[in-house]
Amino acid sequence: MAVEQKSDIVELKIPCKPEFVGVARLSILGIASRMQMSYDDVEDVRLAVAEACTTAVSRAMKANKPDTFLTIRSEISDTKLTIEVEDSIPPTSTDLPEVPQSPDDIDEESIGAMLMELLMDEVKVEASKHGGTLVRLIKYAG
Amino acid sequence: MGTRRRSATAASTEDVDVLFAEYARTRDPKIRERLVMMHQNLVRYLAGKFVNRGEPLEDLVQVGTIGLINAIDRFDPSRGTKFSTYATPTIVGEIRRYFRDKAWSVKVPRRLQELNLAASKAAETLSQKLGRPPTIQEIAKSVNASEQETLEAIELGNAYDAISLDSRLEHEGDSAPLSLSEFLGGTDISLDNLERYGDLSQAIECLEPREKAIIYLRFFKGMSQTEVAKRLNISQMHVSRLQHKALKRLKELLGE
Repeated sequence: MAVEQKSDIVELKIPCKPEFVGVARLSILGIASRMQMSYDDVEDVRLAVAEACTTAVSRAMKANKPDTFLTIRSEISDTKLTIEVEDSIPPTSTDLPEVPQSPDDIDEESIGAMLMELLMDEVKVEASKHGGTLVRLIKYAG
Repeated sequence: MGTRRRSATAASTEDVDVLFAEYARTRDPKIRERLVMMHQNLVRYLAGKFVNRGEPLEDLVQVGTIGLINAIDRFDPSRGTKFSTYATPTIVGEIRRYFRDKAWSVKVPRRLQELNLAASKAAETLSQKLGRPPTIQEIAKSVNASEQETLEAIELGNAYDAISLDSRLEHEGDSAPLSLSEFLGGTDISLDNLERYGDLSQAIECLEPREKAIIYLRFFKGMSQTEVAKRLNISQMHVSRLQHKALKRLKELLGE
């Protein structure tokens, strides 16, 4: 934190509902395109963000809190793109869930978590200041 | 998705464990095949995540299955890792590699792919800065490439996404959708011929009456020089000479 890098911030607040995940995806296309990223990298970031949003949406549905919001905060700097997806459901565990064994029982949440790890350079799940869950995704430029 | 369970491939955790243990021991291709079938859902699910990048789902499933097979072959059940945990990165890796290497319909060098992105970004920034579309030179300067390279890079953006000739076109109305190939024209030879025919008939009009008659009888009626000579009451030699002269004149008129 010693050297504060110049960066731009874009914040998007959307209803925590499945039909708005596409809005997040779309905005990430615009944001990631601001950086010198390859097409594949941009698509990877979009997929990871969509996974983070989908996970949040299904958690909101399970917690029976469909009227909550998701905040997607993107920080664009020369060296990296940081995207924080924050919901208002407290985390059950900040560990990324394990992928289950049985082939027919696909646990979307755990695969989503795994996809994020595969597609991004850094993934961190933590309790947010506002009592929700915050997923931080980082992709380094170049 | 998770509930799509087919009795033929349904398997409990133990079944999978048993099969992997057996496969590790025997390397029996039949067991491998069963394991592949059992994990098709996982592959489909993962492939589905990548489907909006413009490649058909079935292609991605195929590629993902290659990843699955590799994972099955390399999986060591004695290590205690769960197979899907082990296989997911391999499957996703294979799908991503497919996009990286093959999704450009026309093979494009990696360097130009990157330059293409840099150039389009520079074009956008420059238009804002200059208040007008930038020139190629300006883009080239800003991405540190030669003009030629920059042009190539911009051009190849089109190579990312070639369109199938069989792709259906959006259109209004109730008729059946048409494919792109149905809209692509070929050279219509009869149109060309019509045009030439018009030129030719004009050229013939310019000939002397006797030459015109010879051309008509020789080439439209198909008579021999001797027959034409008889009909016009001149010698065959004369016909030959006049014909030669007429053809030469026609060639001149038609600009050949």
